[in-house]
Amino acid sequence: MKWFKTRSYYLFIPSVLFLLIPLYGLGSAIAQSVRDNGAFTFQYYTSLFESERFLTSAGFSLQVSLVSSLLSLIIGLWITRACYPLLEKYTPRLIVWLPMLFPHFVWGYMVILLLSESGVLSQWMQMTGLIGVPADFPVWTRDPYGIGITLTYVWKEVPFVILMLLPVYASIKPEFYDLVQSLGGGAWERFKTVEWPHLLPVVVESFLIIFAFTLSAYEVPALLGTTYPEMLSVLSYDWFYGSVWEDRPLAFAAMSLMSVFLLMITCVAYLYLNRKRWRAMRGRIE
Amino acid sequence: MSRNRLLFIITSALFFLLPVLLLVLQSVSETWRFQAGQGFTFQLDSFEVLTSDPNLWSATGWSIAIGAGVLVTNLLIGILTGKALATMDFKGKSFVEAMMLSPILIPVLAIAMGLHLFMIRIGLADTLAGVILIHLVPTVPYSVKIFQNAYRQMGSDLLEQPLILGATPVHQLFTVELPLMKPAIRSVTFLTIVISLSQYAITAIIGGGTVITLPMVFFPFLDTANASIMAAFSIWFAMIPLLLYVIMEAILLLLPYTNIPWRNRT
Repeated sequence: MKWFKTRSYYLFIPSVLFLLIPLYGLGSAIAQSVRDNGAFTFQYYTSLFESERFLTSAGFSLQVSLVSSLLSLIIGLWITRACYPLLEKYTPRLIVWLPMLFPHFVWGYMVILLLSESGVLSQWMQMTGLIGVPADFPVWTRDPYGIGITLTYVWKEVPFVILMLLPVYASIKPEFYDLVQSLGGGAWERFKTVEWPHLLPVVVESFLIIFAFTLSAYEVPALLGTTYPEMLSVLSYDWFYGSVWEDRPLAFAAMSLMSVFLLMITCVAYLYLNRKRWRAMRGRIE
Repeated sequence: MSRNRLLFIITSALFFLLPVLLLVLQSVSETWRFQAGQGFTFQLDSFEVLTSDPNLWSATGWSIAIGAGVLVTNLLIGILTGKALATMDFKGKSFVEAMMLSPILIPVLAIAMGLHLFMIRIGLADTLAGVILIHLVPTVPYSVKIFQNAYRQMGSDLLEQPLILGATPVHQLFTVELPLMKPAIRSVTFLTIVISLSQYAITAIIGGGTVITLPMVFFPFLDTANASIMAAFSIWFAMIPLLLYVIMEAILLLLPYTNIPWRNRT
């Protein structure tokens, strides 16, 4: 069977070719962020850190994406945990995944349609006399706190979290629950000792995917954000495509910083999970 | 249990079903003004205005062409890599798996900006092929993962059997692997098309105003069109994955061992 095995490495050729696209793209973005007429320079990074606009934007982006990803995870985990036997059935699963049929910015428009000051909810509240005029309705879209962006992301990512967690819950053997019960453990013990160890790798992976996406995506903040503070992706896109050609390296520097930051978080998470796995294995051997 | 059931029905109806239902209703109704006592008035002008826009049709064409190209490439890379990762054991496999996931953890905006000059140099900027290539970045990692799971669930026995019986790899792919992986193919179809349809910024950067896809028509519409037309446009977006899903389903009927009337006659 050796012949079969060595031959199988050919299966990796397309994916290696594919990986060249993101690797070259990232490498080239970083290269263009440290080059000024062929000479090496850190000037774009220093001007980034001196720019009030950049720092505000970076803080705002971190806050919005952190809140969005944590909320999506908590709500998704809660729904999966409470309703997982139901979600095994076809129709309930289809309903939960309905938002996944729409692109993010279309769901963003949905948030405008439903929750803006003149949206459906506001109209309904005026009709029933809960509020007097549209101005009484809280500003949830194009607001300075990123509420609209966060709402859209959470709404769209909860189905994704359910999609990721459902197979984990389906794979947990009922015997584990019986064991906890016979040892006198309650619901919390069941979650802590049975579910959480199964969930942890998938939860970390889901968090990384959602966090990286919400931190760097352009479409939803462009639709639901305001001009100040703006998300880093919108600012970088403006720098890249704006009228001032000299701003372009700033876009490269900002996006490179974000990429390095995300890669560092990923590495930490990867090492943490690997150490955990290694410890679990050692515990079994000894 | 029944409490959870009730909770689930209310939550899913309120947050997942109702919004889509409202969107559909708004698309076939005059723009709502509930506070003025104007409710649901049936009309189809919104779809008429939408479909009479020539940009919409060409953008739909571009989006479908890109989506189809992205889908086919995803199936190719996903099936081959998924098979390799599920069936082979080698040193550093977890690192390779992490590498395959990494493109969705790096901002695709950074990748597109970095590739822009290179794409211009090799003549792929402003072309269909260039946009398909950049759309692969946020989609392929998911496809690889889905097919890897599909092959793992299939198990090695079913993959060794055709080998022992002397089937060629291609024969094996069409008679054993693909028929068993239909659910995975369906998931990949949906995910890749929706993700490809969601890309505004990277399409604009690599497509450079020549490749005008649906999102590029959608964004400016927001400033001019009323709620009915925007709702109709939103529904239009959902139609495209459904359309390609139906086409994919028809293609899947051609696979061997499919339950279709004309092949099951005795």
